[in-house]
Amino acid sequence: MANMVTLTIDGKPVTVPAGTLVIDAAKQAGIDIPAFCYYEGFSVQAACRMCLVEVEKMPKLQPSCALPAAEGMVVHTETPKVVEARKSTIEFLLTNHPLDCPVCDKGGECELQDMTFRYGLGESQFLEIKHHADEKQWSPLVFYDPARCILCYRCIRVCDEGLGVAALGLSYRGVSAEIIPNKGDHLECDECGWCIDVCPVGALTSGTYRYKSRPWEMNYVPAICTHCSNGCKTTLSVRNGEIIRSNNRDRSGINGEFLCVKGRFGFDFVHNEERLQSPLIRKDGKLEPVSWSEALKFVVSRVRETIERNGKFAVIGSTRTTNEENFYLQKFARQGLRTNNIDHHRSGDVITLVDALAGRTDALATVGDLYTCDAALVLGADLAQQHPLLAYQLRANWRHHRSPVFVVTPGPVREDQYAARSLRAEAGGEVERLEELREELKARQNLVVLYGASVKGEAVRRLVAFGDSLGIPVKYVCLVDYVNSRGAVDMGLLPHLGPGYKPVEIPGMHLDAMMAAPDLDVIWVAGANPLEGGREFASKNAFVIVHELFLTETAQRADVVLPSMSLYEKNGTVTNVCGEVQRTKAGPKVMGTKSDLDILGLLAAQLGFDIGIPSQEKVLDEIRRTVRGYNVPLPVLATGGAAQAAVLNGNVPVDAQPEQVRPSGDTLFTSGTLGKYSKRLAQLMEAPGRLFQP
Amino acid sequence: MPKIQEILKGAAAIAKGMSVTIQEMMNPIITDDYPDAPPVFQERYRGLHVLQRDDNGLEKCVACFLCSAACPVQCIYIEAADNTEQERISGGERYAAVYNIDYSRCIFCGYCVEACPTDAITHGHGFELASFNTSTLIYRKEQLLAPLPEGATGKVKLDHPVAVGDGGH
Ligand code: SF4
Ligand code: SF4
Ligand code: SF4
Ligand code: SF4
Ligand code: SF4
Ligand code: FES
Repeated sequence: MANMVTLTIDGKPVTVPAGTLVIDAAKQAGIDIPAFCYYEGFSVQAACRMCLVEVEKMPKLQPSCALPAAEGMVVHTETPKVVEARKSTIEFLLTNHPLDCPVCDKGGECELQDMTFRYGLGESQFLEIKHHADEKQWSPLVFYDPARCILCYRCIRVCDEGLGVAALGLSYRGVSAEIIPNKGDHLECDECGWCIDVCPVGALTSGTYRYKSRPWEMNYVPAICTHCSNGCKTTLSVRNGEIIRSNNRDRSGINGEFLCVKGRFGFDFVHNEERLQSPLIRKDGKLEPVSWSEALKFVVSRVRETIERNGKFAVIGSTRTTNEENFYLQKFARQGLRTNNIDHHRSGDVITLVDALAGRTDALATVGDLYTCDAALVLGADLAQQHPLLAYQLRANWRHHRSPVFVVTPGPVREDQYAARSLRAEAGGEVERLEELREELKARQNLVVLYGASVKGEAVRRLVAFGDSLGIPVKYVCLVDYVNSRGAVDMGLLPHLGPGYKPVEIPGMHLDAMMAAPDLDVIWVAGANPLEGGREFASKNAFVIVHELFLTETAQRADVVLPSMSLYEKNGTVTNVCGEVQRTKAGPKVMGTKSDLDILGLLAAQLGFDIGIPSQEKVLDEIRRTVRGYNVPLPVLATGGAAQAAVLNGNVPVDAQPEQVRPSGDTLFTSGTLGKYSKRLAQLMEAPGRLFQP
Repeated sequence: MPKIQEILKGAAAIAKGMSVTIQEMMNPIITDDYPDAPPVFQERYRGLHVLQRDDNGLEKCVACFLCSAACPVQCIYIEAADNTEQERISGGERYAAVYNIDYSRCIFCGYCVEACPTDAITHGHGFELASFNTSTLIYRKEQLLAPLPEGATGKVKLDHPVAVGDGGH
């Protein structure tokens, strides 16, 4: 335990580790000291003087954001002297501030506005004309109005320290000082928009939310980002059934305030005009819109007829549907359609890992572990591009705790900036290079290993053996690609494993076999796009049923297309890359669509399948009762927390089929098929981006 | 005896009453002749709202939503949008693309007028709102806007243009 010191703040005794800043100590005591430039987790700036406090025995007021707590210190945060100083600070900040709150996007949630209400004088002693500089557009997503900027440097610090992008800097001096983007007149960066969120005033505004609404006019929905597997929590701001903003200012969830460009801006696919809003049936070779009842009746008759003549089914599940839907889908396939021909697009070898770690507890890392571990090893993944949240966590761990990161990748990655060692190795050959790191890794207290899709099959076992030989506690993360890729594996969207990695008696066909089988009668694609890039089903005459948001390549081949909902439109749980289960809630509704659970439930009822009630709560309840490791505490889910599923529990005695693992190759600006329907992502000059590039 | 007294008392009461009436008959008429003649309003009468324009004919409303936040019955509905170089609607950066007041709910309290930072919304003197169809009681911006001032086109160049486009991209 670190050295503790006790100080008194506003008469309350507070005990904190030595070195804690007074502003943090006050927070611990429930006392809120106003601050502009101070930002939790980032370097001290002490630029705004808003946080001044009176400390006994110190002659002048002290900035509490830069003052370490000391034993016996007596601090007063609201004395007349302090209040007077804050008033003057605000008066200074307002000398050139345009006070255009009625048009400013920040109005209603502006820290300067709040403080002006709390301390501000109604009038100013400055009668001079305010200095003005015109507003600028830096990118399609980021606008900057220098007149409103109070030069707190928050934006500069999150971008530089937090992300390692360092796209923002300061130029000019005095009243003319302003923030300048890295390309002078425009930005080339991650386009994450975090700078916009941390800006205490309305100087940075979002191209998507600009002038659209007001904070009190929207409904806020706690959802999980539907893009990558990191599972960031995001709060959707919904007005009139439309998502107009996505951020996480309350820092709830595993990601705190962090979101990448996809999470913060990539929600516009929901309202893309190409969204399917009515079922389609192929009539005379053309897909025609029909009613839901007609479409369902058509599906039921074809499926019933195929069952009666003992036809062959194949089911391809999704990596973006909820756990409940995946569980119900595999039940629908196994118990209803009586087939084990079920699979999904696998993007990481989870199965081998679960087998190799059999019998252990605590061997799978959480997102939180990445911030607390003593060292991390990244194999074959461009984290900053593919797993932005994990990259952020490792970087924060290095910033705050100096925990080293080791990378073994086929090309340059952003982690090289600060990595203790960066090795280059061919994709698939990463594990061979580990011996070179042995001595350095052995010296650490513990380690987290993250490996990408190029490490699979035997390589995973060798990796675990290497980890064991280090003699320190090692935890693993198998990097999968999409929001519920991990949940799809855990819920048994696999030909040879049921939910919870339980082997099935007669394994069915895996994805490649389904694509190549010439004699399938019905191919059921629930929210996937296996025909992407011109691939084809070998079964030319198969009846194809597709649940989709858009008319994708697969949907164009379908005989029936059922318009489904995106993750933002439904309730349920998803499992992130670290196996953490989180709940997501329904935000907007798109007319004419149904959730995959509803679709399957309606069909099951009409087909007479007895596979349980298709309600999200009921299915979750069944998952918690029957799926190994998924007995996650409901209160944690209900309060927006993440509960790691304990899937390690005995061997998985099947062939893991590592050849079925295919990375999606998505970058920071792409997101599989879904990403193609986000105009906002496509419009960025950084898109589509490339992996393993300097 | 008591009877005579009662009669006198009654007569006195009637005379007193009639004196008021006769007196009032002498005074000028103060009620309005509505609907035969237009009614006269106090300056501060709170009637149908008017959305004001500035001297150039631009809308004063900047879609700040403060009126709708202040409104105790939440009868104001706004959708905001930004002015562009090609099309400038209001004096500020943003304007109300949609501005509706639901007069089946408005209680003419004047809070919205009080809240408006740009003096855009005001109470006019319109009061003939009765309708057999409540759906006609939702007034749109076009119905609430003041007419263009004499000679103004309502089209003005931006003094600080922001190119809403690619931002160098
Ligand atoms: S959008 Fe993100 S990457 Fe770009 S400048 Fe802002 S914080 Fe930096
Ligand atoms: S743009 Fe915002 S966050 Fe950046 S320095 Fe100015 S006020 Fe601070
Ligand atoms: S890191 Fe992944 S989960 Fe988080 S916001 Fe980005 S795409 Fe979404
Ligand atoms: S007068 Fe009152 S009730 Fe009517 S719109 Fe204004 S604030 Fe609302
Ligand atoms: S009428 Fe006034 S208060 Fe209402 S939105 Fe317009 S500017 Fe704001
Ligand atoms: S918050 Fe302490 S000086 Fe700005």
